[in-house]
This record gives sequence, structure tokens and C-alpha cells, in this order.
Amino acid sequence: MKMPALVFGLAVAVSGLAAQADEPMNDLEIAHAAYTAGGLDIRYAHLALAISENDEVRAFAATMIRDHTAVNEAAGRLIAELDVTPQDNPLSQALVEGAAAKRAELMSLTGNAFDCAYATNELAYHQIVNQTVAETFIPAVTVAPLRALLEDALVTFRVHEAHAERMVEGLACSG
Amino acid sequence: MLRLKCLSRRGFGRGLGFALALPGLSPPLLAQEGPLEAGIRIERFSFDPPQIEVAVGDSVTWTNGDLAPHTATAIDGEWDTGALGMGDAARIIFRTPGRYPYHCVFHPNMTGMVIVHATAGG
Repeated sequence: MKMPALVFGLAVAVSGLAAQADEPMNDLEIAHAAYTAGGLDIRYAHLALAISENDEVRAFAATMIRDHTAVNEAAGRLIAELDVTPQDNPLSQALVEGAAAKRAELMSLTGNAFDCAYATNELAYHQIVNQTVAETFIPAVTVAPLRALLEDALVTFRVHEAHAERMVEGLACSG
Repeated sequence: MLRLKCLSRRGFGRGLGFALALPGLSPPLLAQEGPLEAGIRIERFSFDPPQIEVAVGDSVTWTNGDLAPHTATAIDGEWDTGALGMGDAARIIFRTPGRYPYHCVFHPNMTGMVIVHATAGG
């Protein structure tokens, strides 16, 4: 499967962070990146609802909005409870930058071309985000409630990944 | 087969009623002392237990333990808990015998079954 530009950028950013062993992400940076990733997926979903006429794609997008909003609201409650401020960081910036480029690409598409591009990106996005959360964020986090939140969120995100996989198969996208 | 999450004394009596029911009698008639409240936990995108058996007049309460919102909605649309956020619960009272397959409308791969049996008294 082709790796969308955003996912490639995220993969590079994550591997770059892994290489910077002397500067691992701290809890506040991880919280920021996770929150940012959820927010960006919500923006993709709003775009899908604006453009797609496919019922399956629209249902998936609605689920992304609903679920990621719930996860980010839980993160917001935890941040308030801990009385901390998440820190912007290179990974969050790479995510935002990559997503802007991907949105521009998606906005130029319509019909099945949009649906396939959106679905394929959602699958790849969740694959790399889930891998990052499982293998980088959760092992690195030091605050127990944040780790618990990430573990709960990962359950949700893995369901999304499986859903995206079915959506891609159902759309029978070529390439 | 799991009927109720918590086996109360009344639940034990009903279980005994099941055990004494003649094989092949369908649906079984249950000794009924009063309505029961059964519970189903929604966790990790699953209904636990996935199948539950109650008697007419009993209620089932779904409680969501996930971050993501869920529903318990009859496949035929006859009943619906509505959206349940994390920690939310909703109760449905079953007044008619039958099998009630249901799912989460937000995540249709999440499925469950409520089986409602007639009571001995009617």
C-alpha cells in the first residue's frame, strides 16, 4: 500500500525522535502530540462529511468526530486535573504541517477518488499513530493517569484502524 | 449460559426454575417473584455479557466504561438507549417475550442479544 505523504512525514518524525535518544519526548509533549493527532483526524472527518456522498464513508467520519472528541475531552479533563499545560513539539508540528498538505490534496478530489484517498489515509494514519502510541508514547510516559488514558485511547484507535481497513476494502480502491 | 451478572437469591430461584424446566420446552416459563435488574458492561468495544436472558418485566441496564460513546440499539429499532458517554448508564424494561438482537449504532461490529422469556404467571 502506498504511504500517504502525511503518514510518511509522521513516520519520519517518529523515527527521528527515536534517534534523538538524548532528547526523548516528555509527558507534556506526548500529551500535546496525542491531542493534536486526534484533533487533526476530526478535521479530516469534517472534510469527509462536506465532500463525500458515500454512506459508509460518512458514517466512518461521524464516528471519528464522535470518538476523537470524546478522547480529547477526556484528555482535557485530565490536563485540567493535573493542572499542566501540554507542550508543543517537533512531532506535533510535523503532524500539523503534514495534515495541512493532506487536506489540500483531499479538497481537490471528489466522488470515489476522494473516498478512496480519505479512506486510505485514515487507515495509514491510524496504523502509524497506533504504532507510535503503543511503542513510543505509552512506554515513555511517566504519569500513571496519562498512561491509562493513552491505553484506553489506543483501544478506541485500534477499532478505528480495523474499521478503516474494512472501509478501504469495501470501496475497492485500486493502487 | 450467563443470565444475570449478579446472582441474587431471587436470581438463584429463577436459575432453579430454569433447571427444572422440561427439556425442549420453548420458551421456558419462569417462576417470577418480581422484576429483576440485569446489568451489561460496555468495555473495550464489547458488550459483557454478549447475551443475557431475562423474564418479562425485567430490566437491563447498560453502562459504558469506554472513552468512546456507545449505544445499545435493537436491530429492528424497537428500543434504544441513546448515546452513552463514558460512565453513563441507561435502562430498558422488556415487556414482551422474544429475542432482541442489538448493536451499537456508532460501532455496528459491537453486537449483543437479549432473550426475554415469558413468566409462569402470564
